[in-house]
Amino acid sequence: MELLVIFISAAIVNNFVLTQFLGICPFVGVSKRLDSAISMGMAVTFVMTITAVVTWLIYHLLLVPYNLEILQYVSFILVIASLVQLVEMFIRKVSKPLYDALGIFLPLITTNCAILGLALIAVLREYSFMESLIYGIGAGAGFTLALVIMAGIREELELADVPRHFQGAGITMIIAGSLALAFMGFAGLI
Amino acid sequence: MAKKVSLLEDFTKGIWKENPILIALLGLCPTLAVTISVENGLAMGLAASFVLICSSTLISLLRNLIPKQVRIASFIVIIATFVTIADRYLAAFYPEISKNLGPFIPLIIVNCIILGRQEAFASKNGVGRSILDALGMGLGFTLVLLILSTIRELLGSGTILGYQVMWDSFSPWMVMVLPPGAFLTLGLMIGASNWINDRRTR
Amino acid sequence: MNTSVKMILVLTLISALSGGLLSYWDAYTSEKIEAYRQQEIQQAVKEVLPDTDEEKIQEAGDFTFYVGYKNGDITGVAFVAEGGGFQDIISLMVGVTPDFSKFTGLAVLSQKETPGLGTKIAYDPSRKGNETWFVDQFQGKKSGNLTYVKNQKAYGDSEIEAITGATISSNAVITILNKCIPTAKSVFESINQ
Repeated sequence: MELLVIFISAAIVNNFVLTQFLGICPFVGVSKRLDSAISMGMAVTFVMTITAVVTWLIYHLLLVPYNLEILQYVSFILVIASLVQLVEMFIRKVSKPLYDALGIFLPLITTNCAILGLALIAVLREYSFMESLIYGIGAGAGFTLALVIMAGIREELELADVPRHFQGAGITMIIAGSLALAFMGFAGLI
Repeated sequence: MAKKVSLLEDFTKGIWKENPILIALLGLCPTLAVTISVENGLAMGLAASFVLICSSTLISLLRNLIPKQVRIASFIVIIATFVTIADRYLAAFYPEISKNLGPFIPLIIVNCIILGRQEAFASKNGVGRSILDALGMGLGFTLVLLILSTIRELLGSGTILGYQVMWDSFSPWMVMVLPPGAFLTLGLMIGASNWINDRRTR
Repeated sequence: MNTSVKMILVLTLISALSGGLLSYWDAYTSEKIEAYRQQEIQQAVKEVLPDTDEEKIQEAGDFTFYVGYKNGDITGVAFVAEGGGFQDIISLMVGVTPDFSKFTGLAVLSQKETPGLGTKIAYDPSRKGNETWFVDQFQGKKSGNLTYVKNQKAYGDSEIEAITGATISSNAVITILNKCIPTAKSVFESINQ
């Protein structure tokens, strides 16, 4: 039950993109087409889940016992950067089609603040191992959801007559604002 | 003479022509998240500028020493170190602000502006020019945060820096301090800056 | 020089530099941060246990109890209660009488509610001079089975006036209290038999 609440909270109520403002850069950059949005969402969810697990292990088995909490940021970002590299190498070895689909997005993920944000928030909220894992999956699902909705709208938008100065980022922000307004309706759900 | 102009250019390009937020669309997460009040926006801008200037200085000094293959890893470690310093400083001396900004101070590490300037500028240019570049970019970032947070705090709470400035019967536009207000205001600001640029070139 | 040796050397050097700088900085700031945290808790304890001149700390299970004494007699117990709010966790400092039946005070330690609405549980700028009215009204109320009333003054012993436009945040505070106080009571009684 607790775990379900964490999942729904991370995916919908406190959606990473639309209410926590994490991962805005890829949200603006990779939401032009639906298929690439889905691939990016999958790649992020994948890395998020692994990051949630690994950073939990590092923080609770390495940093806390040796009183090294001050190295939290440095170690987390290094872990994420190396994880992304490892995942990239692993996928390339194991599945060529998957690599072709996700490949170009993987390097971008290191600087996606949603990943580091996830690791930091999980520590801040003192989540247990299982809770962190579920939180990672939920956050990834929420990110994918926001990205896919946005891409769907932007594909339709190509047919619309947007004022010239608002084309691109401007109108994306305004649509995101309306989406955030809609997502606020979920607040208080849990 | 030509050299002088280019030094000035190093500094000013970050403020308008290559503004990190409005033109390059980098570092949007903290821009949207912390601009609920002017105080938060200013603290965020200054913290990010501090990290940017320190990292740019150090990295341009070390640029010939760092092998190409490990440059990103080295940049990240250096940036994360300065971010930890800024984070701890705020927590020790300005605990209220540190509480308000929450995880967005550590998230400066993955702010694309900072890593982007290291990769595009500091790792290729001398110390002097890198510092000017960092100063300009930091100032451009802080200015946009200030404008955005002023609009949001004024309309959303009727105050600026906590002081009441709107008339008494003014009822705050709640949406401005909520997430949608951040997206809408920034969208309008980006549109406006495009319009101004367009007018200028014509 | 061999490139991979150079790579390792440079990375080690940078990491060592970073570690050294940070450990120095840690020593410099952590004392201040800890002192501030302690002071914040101390202040909240003082607020929720007004009628005390000395506090003793008892730890048991998940709880840390701040037991307040005056002239050698127990006058109240304070502890931290946490739970889900509108968006994030709300953390409260609760002060109750020694038998846990009535509130001696309540203070908000941390919350991330909606700015301008839910944040009124901690600070309501629209009530000049009485900005903490929401938590202040708990003083003297009965601690069991709290309920809330909307848009009217609360008269009952266990009724709380909800904040207009932020019923969910108000209710979240009440739910946290209803859930945590019985647990805290049984833990406290088991160590003070």
